[in-house]
Amino acid sequence: MPNHNPSFNSYEKISFNPEPPTILHLDLNSCFATVEQQANPLLRGKPIAVAAYTTPNGCVLAPSIEAKRLGVTVGMRVREARLFCPTLIVLPPDPWKYRFVNRKLLAILREYTADVKVKSIDEMVLNFTHAPTLPKGMKTIAAEIKRRIREEIGEWITVSVGIATNQFLAKTAAGIHKPDGLDVIDGTNFAPLFKSLPVEKLCGIKLNNMARLNRVGVFTAWNFYQAPLPTLTSAFQSICGYYWYLRMHGYEIDDVTFGRKSFGNSYALPKFTEDRTTLSRLMLKLVQKTGRRLREAGYGAYGVHVTCTFADYSTWHHGHRFKSSMYASEDIYKRAIGILFSSPLRKPVRILAVSCFNLEKRALSQLTLLTDEEKKRSRVAALDTINNRYGEFTVMPARLVGMQNTIIDRIAFGGVKELEELLYREPLDVADVGS
Amino acid sequence: MPEKIHESVSVDLVSEDHNGRIYPRFIKWHNRLYRITQVGLHHWLRKGRTLIHIFSVTDGNLFFRLAFDTDTLRWTLEEIEEK
Repeated sequence: MPNHNPSFNSYEKISFNPEPPTILHLDLNSCFATVEQQANPLLRGKPIAVAAYTTPNGCVLAPSIEAKRLGVTVGMRVREARLFCPTLIVLPPDPWKYRFVNRKLLAILREYTADVKVKSIDEMVLNFTHAPTLPKGMKTIAAEIKRRIREEIGEWITVSVGIATNQFLAKTAAGIHKPDGLDVIDGTNFAPLFKSLPVEKLCGIKLNNMARLNRVGVFTAWNFYQAPLPTLTSAFQSICGYYWYLRMHGYEIDDVTFGRKSFGNSYALPKFTEDRTTLSRLMLKLVQKTGRRLREAGYGAYGVHVTCTFADYSTWHHGHRFKSSMYASEDIYKRAIGILFSSPLRKPVRILAVSCFNLEKRALSQLTLLTDEEKKRSRVAALDTINNRYGEFTVMPARLVGMQNTIIDRIAFGGVKELEELLYREPLDVADVGS
Repeated sequence: MPEKIHESVSVDLVSEDHNGRIYPRFIKWHNRLYRITQVGLHHWLRKGRTLIHIFSVTDGNLFFRLAFDTDTLRWTLEEIEEK
């Protein structure tokens, strides 16, 4: 529990956090689409969308601001998006471009404070509580960051910035004006904003939480703020009521860093299938990618977990913890395929996912008396060295021949630990030639 | 939608010492000279250990995605798109 939260009797009503806001939430507007328009000036001002696949069934990942104005939203199929906008330009994702922009953005932000959290490919949170730049003023800093993004990354790239006393309200503030917004929520102005905001517009309040809150008479953010702690505890039936109480009063409850707990990959099949040969080849490729990432980060794993989402949207999943830690993709594959085919369900698979859990830091220098183990280590290390030198899947299992365009590189949704790990592996100034 | 090309091209690259800018000025492709008027984005990526610089540029009518392989020191025109 953060130690700057007020101690109070649960029946006392606390007031909004009187501290000046020092948390800044930054959100790249329509990230993938904006970066594509930055790269290709001929696309600027036009409705475009970046979709997982450009086929009619492809899922829209990021519509441009122009496309959003015409009704195109994230999650739509391409064919639905074209009904809203027949002239929509649909592009496939270019992950390395977005990662590059993310790293450049991070390099700028780290000049202002050391406490920067990468929440996702397009969201970052900065804590200025102990930053030497704080005396400049939060709004001044935010305006300077916006200017530097335009000058140093690209003139088409805009960000919405929110400033508040905690991460939750800073994110809420960032959502007030899009694109290119700059808003503050603090003790002087929170009331009118809360009164105008339906509770379901708050981050983290979707259908179920909205129903819980509506049942106790909470319909707006203002009702939420005014609700006594016992009411919220009753609504959420857990400590979550207390966490929400603190969030709405501007106190920080979300400043928690979670360590790496698993490595996984998933794939949405373009053609649903229950054919075991196809599924085993897909699993093999997923495991190859997962295994590479696991070893690259210096881990082994005791557990393997497999999830199948079927054509009818039902899900089956199973995980198993094994006695010995695995690092070689062949070992992970043997376990994963055993779990997959232990499923009692025989239905066409829509999404296949595998992950390794119960991680263990690998002591690569530890000697082993087992000759076979030593040979396996050398073989795996040699294959990784070749793939590092010449590119992913330069050497691969024979069964993956012909699958170059299956399970291709994508940016994961949500928090992406690899983004931070990538920055430390490859600093931007190695070849910072500017443009 | 961009058209995939993947052909070798000649590129005239400018390096400005006073402001640190580096950008392609001309592209020669199929015996035609294209004068670059705007650089949209310059980013880089690695294929294995090889560093590849990607310049996304336009001459006002066509968009070009150029790749410079730092191992072979060769330019490749990866994509074009017409206005």
